[in-house]
Amino acid sequence: MASTREIVSGEYQYGFHDDVDYLEETKAGLTRETVEEISRFKDEPAWMLDFRLRAYEHFLSRPMPTWGGDLMQIDLSKIVYYRKPSEGEEKSWDDVPDKIKKTFERLGIPEAERKFLAGVGAQYDSEVVYHSVREELSKVGVVFMGTDQGLKEYPELFKKYFATVVPPEDNKFAALNSACWSGGSFVYVPKGVEVPLPLQAYFRINAENTGQFERTLIIVDEGAKVHYIEGCTAPIYTTDALHAAVVEVIALPGSKVRYTTIQNWSNDVYNLVTKRAHAHANSTVEWIDANTGSRLTMKYPSIFLRGEGATAEVISVAVAGKGQHQDTGAKAIHLAPNTRSRIISKSISKDGGRTTYRGQLKVVPGATGVVASVRCDALLLDEGSRSDTYPYIDIQEADTSMSHEATVGKISQDQIFYLMSRGLTENEATNLVVQGFLEVFTKELPMEYAIEFNRLVKMEMEGALG
Amino acid sequence: MTAAAAPRVVTTRQAPSDLTLSFVDEATVRGVAAAGGDAEWLLADRLAGLAAFAALPIETNALYTTYVDLRNARLADVRPYTGPAVVAAGAAKAALLPEGAAAYAEITENRVTALVLSPAAREAGVVLETLDGLRARDPELLRQLLEGGCALPENDKLAQMTRALWSQGLLLRVPDGVRLERPVVLRWIVGAPGTALFARTVISVGEDAEVSVVEEQVSATSSASATAAPSGPTDPQAFFAGTTEVQIGAGSTLSFAGLQDLSLRQVAFQHRSAVIGRAATVRWALAQLGSRVIRSRIDNTLEGNGSTVEQAEIVFGSADQLFDLTSYTRHIGRDTTGNLLSKGALADRSRAYMKGLAVIDLTAHGTDSYLGEFSMLLSRQARSVAIPSLEIDQPDCRRVAHASSVGPIDETQLFYLESRGLDPDEARKVIVLGYLEPVVARVPLESAQDRLRELLEAKWDAQAVARPAVAAAAVA
Repeated sequence: MASTREIVSGEYQYGFHDDVDYLEETKAGLTRETVEEISRFKDEPAWMLDFRLRAYEHFLSRPMPTWGGDLMQIDLSKIVYYRKPSEGEEKSWDDVPDKIKKTFERLGIPEAERKFLAGVGAQYDSEVVYHSVREELSKVGVVFMGTDQGLKEYPELFKKYFATVVPPEDNKFAALNSACWSGGSFVYVPKGVEVPLPLQAYFRINAENTGQFERTLIIVDEGAKVHYIEGCTAPIYTTDALHAAVVEVIALPGSKVRYTTIQNWSNDVYNLVTKRAHAHANSTVEWIDANTGSRLTMKYPSIFLRGEGATAEVISVAVAGKGQHQDTGAKAIHLAPNTRSRIISKSISKDGGRTTYRGQLKVVPGATGVVASVRCDALLLDEGSRSDTYPYIDIQEADTSMSHEATVGKISQDQIFYLMSRGLTENEATNLVVQGFLEVFTKELPMEYAIEFNRLVKMEMEGALG
Repeated sequence: MTAAAAPRVVTTRQAPSDLTLSFVDEATVRGVAAAGGDAEWLLADRLAGLAAFAALPIETNALYTTYVDLRNARLADVRPYTGPAVVAAGAAKAALLPEGAAAYAEITENRVTALVLSPAAREAGVVLETLDGLRARDPELLRQLLEGGCALPENDKLAQMTRALWSQGLLLRVPDGVRLERPVVLRWIVGAPGTALFARTVISVGEDAEVSVVEEQVSATSSASATAAPSGPTDPQAFFAGTTEVQIGAGSTLSFAGLQDLSLRQVAFQHRSAVIGRAATVRWALAQLGSRVIRSRIDNTLEGNGSTVEQAEIVFGSADQLFDLTSYTRHIGRDTTGNLLSKGALADRSRAYMKGLAVIDLTAHGTDSYLGEFSMLLSRQARSVAIPSLEIDQPDCRRVAHASSVGPIDETQLFYLESRGLDPDEARKVIVLGYLEPVVARVPLESAQDRLRELLEAKWDAQAVARPAVAAAAVA
């Protein structure tokens, strides 16, 4: 782990990058030719090219969003929309190019895999280069592979669900992703199969001005259960990078899906992500989402509760430090009777950072017996930082029980005083209070992640107080 | 005229943010100014309002653009009153003063039908007059009060429209040190089909003064609470735009109760703003019962250290009424308090959009801010939207919180009351009226409280009677 001194002095822990010889990449900027080129590189079926072009047209016609964070600094013409680091999908670790392997080793992936992973999908730039699924999982029919590979190997399943949750017309950045998506994970869990260990994927952005448009599609069949973990670290750069991902989750009747994210992009990344799940009858979908990195994140994990008895839970954490804006939140759209949702949001602003909770809770006519709750708590650690809360609560069905609460405050001096009287330094005391504030999130993580996350928060706090 | 207008109503598809007014132009503004004998500065002020109206969208706040709906406002054929109010003979008769009131103004369409002060209020130096009267008596004061749009929000298209077109207005002035025990009653009786009335009310309270105001906006013909029959798309509508512009000095208190019970053929826009000085307090108690479309905006600016705003608002909707209610509360001074509560009971196909934003500036150390938005849905077709928002720059606050809930009538309460012998309809009524009662109790004049209770009860009974008919119509 990096020492506090390194953090304070601005050295980013994962702030290295290797010079990789890119075999194929598009020119900077997005044109119709670029989109066609991406599709050609990937040797895709015609319908996917049509889909990409439709999305491209929509991207052009759609204005930049004027709400949320400041998007004026993004120069879309300087971004390289596709690059492919090596030929094809690698079957074994030995085949992965050395330079890329070195990067992963520094991230600790092989070790993590040996220890507890069910499978690893590691994304190096825009293509999945390494992927392995434990044999027992493949035996019971669990599919966990790169999205490009998924399109090739499971064309029917893929086509049936792809873009059904997030159509390209959803928003400008979903359209951008749809036009030039590359990589991401494709997961299918067959009926009744419970995946005992979390599936996890590491993502990285490499090379200056690289756009990263991964596309993840997770289909969990009836009665199945899976936990997917996505953690991000990115090298630090001087110019701005854009990450515009789309994640689609389909939870078929009776299934259970948990999707955990720890987002720690370096502070020059624009992270504009569309994450949405369809929850069918009696299924459960949980988004566990933490955002500590990036310059600007705009991300509102959503759940459309489409089937009777479905349950949604979102636990969202945001930490914004100097120069950062975390514009995050959650959406629960109740479309069926007797559905339940719970949204918990915790945010911390410090050193001039800004956090925004932007959420939506909607109950349509006929969705009777809905129980929904939203809780937002924000900590504002110093002057010059900012916290906003914008909840939208739209209830169109009388038989609904909805409650919403929000508070904003600072760290109580009484708590700090008490802890210091027990022998802690001020930094330690503050850190402990912050960890307590975030515990509702941390306790949902697998232990290794909880430790890593607490370490991350501690580093952020030390940066603040040092 | 109506025959010619009918096909247009059918063929025109109106976007939610379209306003169908056809007379908001320079000629009309100049006509209003000429009819009132405006000074040059006032004409210029009106034209500035018109320019702002033309430049602004209906909703300037990007947070709220998806919750604007003026489609039920069919105002293409309404015409504004242009001349200043005519003061009716005998309007100053002491007998017109309601019992228990310190002063009374009654405006019926474009006529002033009562304008009377109690001797005690007059002796204390309280002024209640029309802006037209003030124009003749003290043009400099009028200029001081109105020029630059006074406290009307600069970014609000509809407030700027009223600034451009107002033809009627009232001024209430309470001098320093005067504490009026009895309330001032202001009553607007409007709603003649095809008319548009633009009015401003300016309340200027000096230092260490105290006053309470009861403002009633009612219809001459049928009140919303007396009839639940929805108006059809071709029924001629009436339009009313009114302001309440409050300036309040150090240490003073204003309690303002607003009761809106206009007819279901009325479209009404209200703009209320208060700039609150040191250790001063403004209490709003607002009841929204009437109008087909009511759009209200309240701007509270807590400028002085230790200033307070308490705002309670109730909505009781029926038929296809839309209540579009926005409030902005900005904390600037130290140790300010904002305590805001909205409660809605929504029957039939009525809708309430409750949009509240509390802003805490960097200077606002020691802020206490609470915002609550609660709704009870009484019908399957009703809809409640709550957007209780916060923007906070200063961490050193006493309390910053907001809360919201939506639900049907509590079954256990219903069961309890039924077990005590009430029939289900009666029990529902008791629960809903009890739910709204905390705001009723804040109305400063007892007779106005009773009147509000009667109106709520009448409205309950009307919508309860109308309900089976509506259900039958839906089946047919």
